Amino acid sequence: MTLHATGLSLAADGVDHLKEVTATFRPGRLHTVIGRTLAGKTTLLRVLAGLQRVDSGSLTRDGADFLRTPVWRRDTAMVYQQFINYPHLDVRDNVAFPLRRAGLAREEIERRVEQSLARVGLAEFKERRPSQLSGGQQQRVAIARALAREASILLFDEPFANLDYKLREQLREEFKTLFSDQGDAVVIYTTTDPAEAMMLGDVVLVMHEGRIVQAGAPHEVFDRPATTTVARIVNDPPMNVFPGRIDGDLITVAGLPAGGVPGHLAGLADGAYQFGLRATDVGLAQSGVEGEVTFVEISGSETFVHAVAGQTPFVMQIEGIHDVALGEQVFMRLRPERLFAFDEEGALVRSPACETVLAGGR
Amino acid sequence: MPRLYPAFKYTVIALWACFVAGPFMWAATTSFKDANAVQGGATYLPWLQYEPTATGWRNIFGGSGGVDVLGPFLNSALVTVAASAISLVLGSLAAYGLSRFRYRAGFVKNSDIVFFFVSQRIMPPVVLVVPFFYLLQVAGLLDTVPGLVIVTVALLLPIAVWVMVDFFNGIPREIDEMAMLDGCNPLTAFTRAILPNSLPGLTVAAMFCAVFGWNDFFFAFRLTFTEIQTLPQAIVALNSSIPPWWTLSAAALFGISPLVLLAIWVERYLSKGNLSGAIR
Amino acid sequence: MDIPRRYKSMFVLPGLITLVLIIIFPLLFTIRVSFSSWNVSSPQMDFVGVANYVTMLSDGRFWAGTLRLVLLAGGTVLIQYVLGFGLALLVWRNVLGRRLWRVLFLVPMMTTPVVMAAIWQTIFHESLGPVNDLLGRLGLEPVRWLTEAGPAVVALMTVEVWQWTPFMFLLMLAGLLSLPKEPFMAAAIDGAGAWRTFREVTFPLMAPVSVSAVIIRLIEASKLSDTVYVLTSGGPGSATESPGYYLYIRALKEQQTGYGGSLSLTYLILMIVTLTVVAALLARALKVKGDS
Repeated sequence: MTLHATGLSLAADGVDHLKEVTATFRPGRLHTVIGRTLAGKTTLLRVLAGLQRVDSGSLTRDGADFLRTPVWRRDTAMVYQQFINYPHLDVRDNVAFPLRRAGLAREEIERRVEQSLARVGLAEFKERRPSQLSGGQQQRVAIARALAREASILLFDEPFANLDYKLREQLREEFKTLFSDQGDAVVIYTTTDPAEAMMLGDVVLVMHEGRIVQAGAPHEVFDRPATTTVARIVNDPPMNVFPGRIDGDLITVAGLPAGGVPGHLAGLADGAYQFGLRATDVGLAQSGVEGEVTFVEISGSETFVHAVAGQTPFVMQIEGIHDVALGEQVFMRLRPERLFAFDEEGALVRSPACETVLAGGR
Repeated sequence: MPRLYPAFKYTVIALWACFVAGPFMWAATTSFKDANAVQGGATYLPWLQYEPTATGWRNIFGGSGGVDVLGPFLNSALVTVAASAISLVLGSLAAYGLSRFRYRAGFVKNSDIVFFFVSQRIMPPVVLVVPFFYLLQVAGLLDTVPGLVIVTVALLLPIAVWVMVDFFNGIPREIDEMAMLDGCNPLTAFTRAILPNSLPGLTVAAMFCAVFGWNDFFFAFRLTFTEIQTLPQAIVALNSSIPPWWTLSAAALFGISPLVLLAIWVERYLSKGNLSGAIR
Repeated sequence: MDIPRRYKSMFVLPGLITLVLIIIFPLLFTIRVSFSSWNVSSPQMDFVGVANYVTMLSDGRFWAGTLRLVLLAGGTVLIQYVLGFGLALLVWRNVLGRRLWRVLFLVPMMTTPVVMAAIWQTIFHESLGPVNDLLGRLGLEPVRWLTEAGPAVVALMTVEVWQWTPFMFLLMLAGLLSLPKEPFMAAAIDGAGAWRTFREVTFPLMAPVSVSAVIIRLIEASKLSDTVYVLTSGGPGSATESPGYYLYIRALKEQQTGYGGSLSLTYLILMIVTLTVVAALLARALKVKGDS
């Protein structure tokens, strides 16, 4: 079963929620949709679910029109960002609800409820009401309900975004195994977190202002972001993007010389470019691009140093805890071999040599 | 001031409590009097000031030469329950639709339809009662329970819509969406996912319907005569004859008792904070 | 949400059609009959133009009743609001026997107005009622409650206040119970006294509830007629006559259906216009966004 969207557009109050969205969702694959808040991710899911009408465009399922299929005949399960369950039903009946609506035999319902609750680790909580469960458990109920249906389309709208950090990590780990054997289902998962998108997705779709700006395998998107916008979205912290020049075999950044042209950029014509560099590829050094520290945050075993060179803000991600004072003048070392080169419109010209270290560990 | 405040507070509460309870106490004491006790001027305490008798109470419960209140009681109950039920069903359906979906008919929008429903409360019964009389006469429903039920629905449906629209607006839309994704059509989503979670709202709506249905006098007064009499009608009819105050008092206490019990139950709801969501 | 049209209709149409059918024919009938001379001796749907309306213009009893209703409804609703809000504040929290008070204060609105009016008639009875008895014990002269114009109005207002203050109390208490706690904590931290807290926190927060409660009560109060019918029959003379009761006399008792129709429509239109204006003024005075 394949879902195919062509030119889906939806505007309201002068804002494009969806703009010419064309995408194919294939069976047995997990598609992650990454984008910032209000990029149109939720709208896209709601259109696929049939909860939202579009202004134009078409949606087909195995070639047949799907837009006019009402919600309740779409065989689509959805898990919301908010933990949505039926408040009047206990956990068991919550999971059984769609199965009863589908008219399955009692034994089959029983079997699937047991099985899916066991898989999300809630076998002990069958008699509880959703209100008697923690947030994480409530979301597990919602996931169990989606699992039990064995629906042909599974939609997840930032399912773990409202959970605390620890729980989010844990559920994300479980998620991959939970949905590894969903057979031929089309699974679509939205997130704002690049690590999550790269780790879970077989296919990553990047959304920005209602458009799908890039789609492809995770490493493809990560290693060759089509534009500076994509590069920022799929990196956390967002990729540093700054103006610079290539003149012969010299690179200039923010008007300062930043070293020689690295091998992978050789052969590019002289002129102005936008360069991109991940936060991990900028470091503190004794010499280099000079900047003033504007903000320092320490997270776990890493230090994020924000600095401004001229007009250009940079963020550095440095291993270990470093004591850097605000307002301090520092030198930044840019790793030239890791530079992404974009043209002045922001389209990718050249990327560093492929390196498929995925974002899971940053 | 801080020391005086509690004294002031309890004084006011006590005074108001006396004012509220006064008529009930008066009716209660009067219901045990006989003609002599009433004619002798206002007295309050049985045994001390007058010799109590149960004549009033015997009169309303089938004593010889008494008045029938049980028949009217049943009529009132039948009309109230039927009209409330119809109003709750039609009102909840309409309120749910208006709360969830967008309606358009020319310049008419959802809020206009809600306003149309609710604004019918402004209709004074006396304005409607003459045309109702002729309409029911034509339909052969004059002086029948179904006829009275139909016109009572006009009183109650606006209340049901008013309470339920507000209530449904407070239920997250994601629950209905989820139900539809889970295979319910909009109607079954409503009955299986929303209604079971609407007990507080339905209770408040039912309470208002019961109050205004049970206490209606005017429609019953002008649209039913001999075949059907409702309780308020029967009690008011007592009043217009030479004051058998004891019977009137007993009948009045009997007539208001179902809703006084309702008040106790409503307060429970209020304590649990369930009313706040339904009334705004 | 996007659902097929027939489902949308399925929800709203049954109720809408029912109400329109119940309301629209009587309304059309009333409009038509108001241009006829239909009365008890000649029940006919002829056309006499605006004759009924011309008669009505010089019908002093109708206009006096209308003016009286404005004062009665305005006065009683104001008293009900002040008392209802005050009582709700008193039993809102920190009070012994809270639940008992709450139930007791709610009971009158549950009782049948005409039935209680009959009881009130005995209470205000000149020689046998407890009110004059108590006045006598205080050394005061008995008052002719139901047979003298001034006292009859007072009696009517007393009954209305007794009956409907609880409704105000219910709405205001429900409103108070749903208020957020934070503003009160902030006021307490600022050291605001009881009066300042009320003026600057409680009252503004309760403004929306207040407006709806007052409007709802005004709508109901402007229909006043049952209680008048039982308590005073509009008397003495026409001292307590409301338009609703006057309409009853003309249209039903005397069966001047045509003339009654024109009175009905005028009464209805006056009510709608007045209440709309009052609602708008109240909403603006308390800076509440109008909600429908």
